[in-house]
Amino acid sequence: MVDNWGFIAVLTLVAFTVPLIGLALSWLLRPHRPGPIKQTTYECGLETIGDSWVQFKVQYYLYALIFVLFDVETVFLYPWAVAFLGLPLFALVEMVIFLGILAIGLIYAWRKGALEWV
Amino acid sequence: MPHIPSILTHFSPELILVVGMLLVLTYDLWVRGREGLQANLAIITTVLALVATLVLWVTMPGSHPVFEACGPGAKAGTCRPGAFISDDFTHFFRVLGLLGTLLVLISGQTYMRGRTAFKGEFYALVLSAVLAMNLMAGANDLIVIALAIEFLSITSYILTAFLRHDGLSIEGGLKYFLYGSITSAAMLFGMSYLLGIGGSTSVPALAAIARNPELAQVQGYANIMLPALALVLAGIAFKIALVPFHQWSPDAYQAAPTPVTAFLSVGPKAAGFAVLIRLFVGSFSSLSASWLGTMGLLCLLSMVVGNVAALTQGNVKRMMAYSSIAQAGYMLLGVVSLGGKTLMGLDSVGAVLFFILTYVFTNLGAFAVIIAVEQATGSAELGAYRGLMRRSPLLAVSLVVFFLSLVGVPPLAGFVAKFAVFGAAVTGGQVPLAVVGVLTGVVSVVYYFGVVREMFFGASEEGQPGPIRVGMGTTFVVLVALLMTLVVGLWPEPFITLANNVAHSIAPALQAAGGH
Amino acid sequence: MAMIPLWWYLMVAAGLFTIGLYGALVRKNAVSVLMGIELMLNAVNVNAVAFWRYVSPTAKAAAGADRPVGDFVVGMDGQVFAVVVIALAAAEAAVGLAMVIALYRSRRSFNLPQMDQLQG
Repeated sequence: MVDNWGFIAVLTLVAFTVPLIGLALSWLLRPHRPGPIKQTTYECGLETIGDSWVQFKVQYYLYALIFVLFDVETVFLYPWAVAFLGLPLFALVEMVIFLGILAIGLIYAWRKGALEWV
Repeated sequence: MPHIPSILTHFSPELILVVGMLLVLTYDLWVRGREGLQANLAIITTVLALVATLVLWVTMPGSHPVFEACGPGAKAGTCRPGAFISDDFTHFFRVLGLLGTLLVLISGQTYMRGRTAFKGEFYALVLSAVLAMNLMAGANDLIVIALAIEFLSITSYILTAFLRHDGLSIEGGLKYFLYGSITSAAMLFGMSYLLGIGGSTSVPALAAIARNPELAQVQGYANIMLPALALVLAGIAFKIALVPFHQWSPDAYQAAPTPVTAFLSVGPKAAGFAVLIRLFVGSFSSLSASWLGTMGLLCLLSMVVGNVAALTQGNVKRMMAYSSIAQAGYMLLGVVSLGGKTLMGLDSVGAVLFFILTYVFTNLGAFAVIIAVEQATGSAELGAYRGLMRRSPLLAVSLVVFFLSLVGVPPLAGFVAKFAVFGAAVTGGQVPLAVVGVLTGVVSVVYYFGVVREMFFGASEEGQPGPIRVGMGTTFVVLVALLMTLVVGLWPEPFITLANNVAHSIAPALQAAGGH
Repeated sequence: MAMIPLWWYLMVAAGLFTIGLYGALVRKNAVSVLMGIELMLNAVNVNAVAFWRYVSPTAKAAAGADRPVGDFVVGMDGQVFAVVVIALAAAEAAVGLAMVIALYRSRRSFNLPQMDQLQG
């Protein structure tokens, strides 16, 4: 009997087999010549320096913060858009106010220099 | 379109605060050259909101729902109850919150001037915090309650950590944040169960289910209601700083800029009690047999721990933190004395409201003095108060009056308030708690007297520091607070009548039943 | 098709909440504590959406205290609650991270046991 879990099982099976097929095919077809150069880390053709546990510039945090603002805004915007045709005019006004406040936030961040990369 | 007018009238104080907050925040983006007017703008906004509230209170009495939602297919009269209620109870807490903020803004203006470059942000955050308190006062839906509490919490965290180059301020803010976000996550978890039981976040709908579990929307889950309510209570108790949800408060109080400490000691407490009373006494009174015991325990612990821990504090802001925990315990004593009657026909809820009213003015008066002393000496340690009587008699004498009122000495406001609460407790069947309250009140004399002794008798030999110049703002706030403390103490009738009317508006069913 | 019973979801949510609470209380790194808090809030969302899905539609009209409650609006409460909690979680994370970064600047550490300068 194929019920909900059946679909999930099939999906899981497919999800695992497709990449395995790809890996197996390339393993069969490619020439096999290992060398020490091939074991090194590849990063845009440059030698890598230090380890990857470096601290990120704090500037990323500001960008992430502003991103989160508009990310979460979408959470509210989306259901509003879906139900838009059934909503009264007041809902439009409300959304404009909501977006207006967010816009003020963005303008604030902009004018305070949060968007400049220093 | 029935929504727009009700929002523009019954929600006008909040709208004024939103507009004012945005103006203050962006002030220095638009205006060049005239720096430093954000504080005045914030004060004007608060006054306008206060006036709007008073006009609403006088001209449109009764209960007015805002944000009633009607589905598109809903027939007339089938809208869900308002998510926000504008009634006497809301007005009372709006007025208290706005007045308190006004006093904090006036007394803290010069304190903040030299300490931060972010004036606009500071005053915008204070206005946001008042907005959140107003929302808490009228919240009638779990979503609004959750939003308002989180809103107040987040603004309080930032305000506490506002002096971000001061390691202590950040540490206090982060501790506040960590405790706060864990308890509020627990509160939201409890709310999610309530939502499941009720199929709705509307508090009246949930109250109906509390009265009649048959109505529960998901069968077989009605018994989760009490644990879920306990989680919600924990979230509110955190905002009020009741033991055992108080650990953040001494650190946050000590670390925060002192005007913020003053604000934290009254604002979140008053708003927390607004939610607590509206939710538990107003809506879930049918379950009172279940929550009375828990709250009684919180009340007992707060009175004892607050008063005892305050004894050993060397920092006055920290001492006031414990003192305000104890005061919150006394307020909760009134909440658990359901059905108690006290002086002049005041019922237990009215006694709590009256207590909060006196507490706001007394505590803010005391903090105005603490702010002034910290400005003059750069410290809030006990030693900074040495010889204050000689350096500034006004500050010293007022602080003594405020402390006496907090202890509950006649004829001051605090005495009437404590008398009312203890009276309600005795007639409301909480005699043991009332006894503990009186005894711990005696203990509180000791730590208040510690400060008084420094002020009057702690003459320092080496180097006589000169007199303290007291600013206009501080003088004004101290005098207003003194006046209120004396007037409410000597002539409490109008205030008691007010508290009683407000209490009747929130729990009419309770009045009719005349106790349990 | 057989429906997965409601309590399965509730168990997942309770598990998430407990793991998050454990993390928030036990971890010593401030950022890990923030992650624990996020887990707790996600448990709230799982609960809210699961309850929304399983609330019996016939009983909705009876939910109002004094008056009946519009079908559509009550029906969406769970989802609305989840959306609001997502927004709250984002706001909290933003403020929390800002404070952790400010603390790092003054103490050069994310370690919570080092926050011991405030004592009474």
